Amino acid sequence: MFRPPRPVSMTLNLAAMVDVMMCLIIFFLLASRLASAQYRGVDLPQAASAHEIERSEIGAKVVINVRPAADGVLDAEYVVQGWDGRRATERVLAADAVADYLHAKASQAVEHGETLSCVIRADRDVPYAGVETVLRGCGLARISRIVLSAQPDEPGGESSR
Amino acid sequence: MPNLAPMVDVIMVLLVFFILGASLQIAREGVLRTELDPRSGPGEGAAVEIIASVKIALQDLDNGRACRILVMGRPLERGTPDELRRYMQERRAAGADPLNPVVITAERSVRWRHVVAAMDAAKSAGFDNVQFAVSLGRAAAPR
Repeated sequence: MFRPPRPVSMTLNLAAMVDVMMCLIIFFLLASRLASAQYRGVDLPQAASAHEIERSEIGAKVVINVRPAADGVLDAEYVVQGWDGRRATERVLAADAVADYLHAKASQAVEHGETLSCVIRADRDVPYAGVETVLRGCGLARISRIVLSAQPDEPGGESSR
Repeated sequence: MPNLAPMVDVIMVLLVFFILGASLQIAREGVLRTELDPRSGPGEGAAVEIIASVKIALQDLDNGRACRILVMGRPLERGTPDELRRYMQERRAAGADPLNPVVITAERSVRWRHVVAAMDAAKSAGFDNVQFAVSLGRAAAPR
């Protein structure tokens, strides 16, 4: 005798789904933070008028990290990060190589029809001469948009060091 | 007896999240924008005369430990960034255009934090066009 099939229970197993969702959320949160991690060897100066922006707002950019020279003889050392196809690289440039580096980046950007910005992440203890080298390099490479990185002041945070 | 296995699962995920989150310590990072004068360059970087409405000069004191702030060639009394900000605010109140260029000149050994503090003072007083004077010497030689 024919019996209709027993109706299948259509309730969703929520507990398992929430578990998986949470894992995914955590993974992406952490991954996105890691991916946007900048070079951490510089101690940025503080500025109340610095505002946080999305990285995409800057557009094409070249980032130069300026840190105090280890030996104290030179004004500063310049660290640039790159990508060699497999892993992130970090190079230390000498002062006289900065202009050439910027020039190469600028001509690449011109080929792609982009307007390049130069992001300068300079340590607060670097003498101005060290940053001036980058500014001069930008001038020579015809990069006119300069973005200086700073820590936005927090009320109650460390105010002066 | 409660079912322990899923609870341990969840607790572990939370633990991993907070441990990693705390150890990353993502510092907040903001930006200050400026523009180099497009008339400078190409090549050797032509010298341009920027008619600055305010010229701020920073002189090094005590090899980088402090700096003196000069506005239009006159030193500020105490030389603090706060004083500079008040001065700039007064200028704005007196009708200065926010697009008027403010040019910062710094001695080579002035620490970057003082330069950014001066720029910050001008920006927070409402001047949007803050520029840096860059000497035309070739790449910095060792001191």
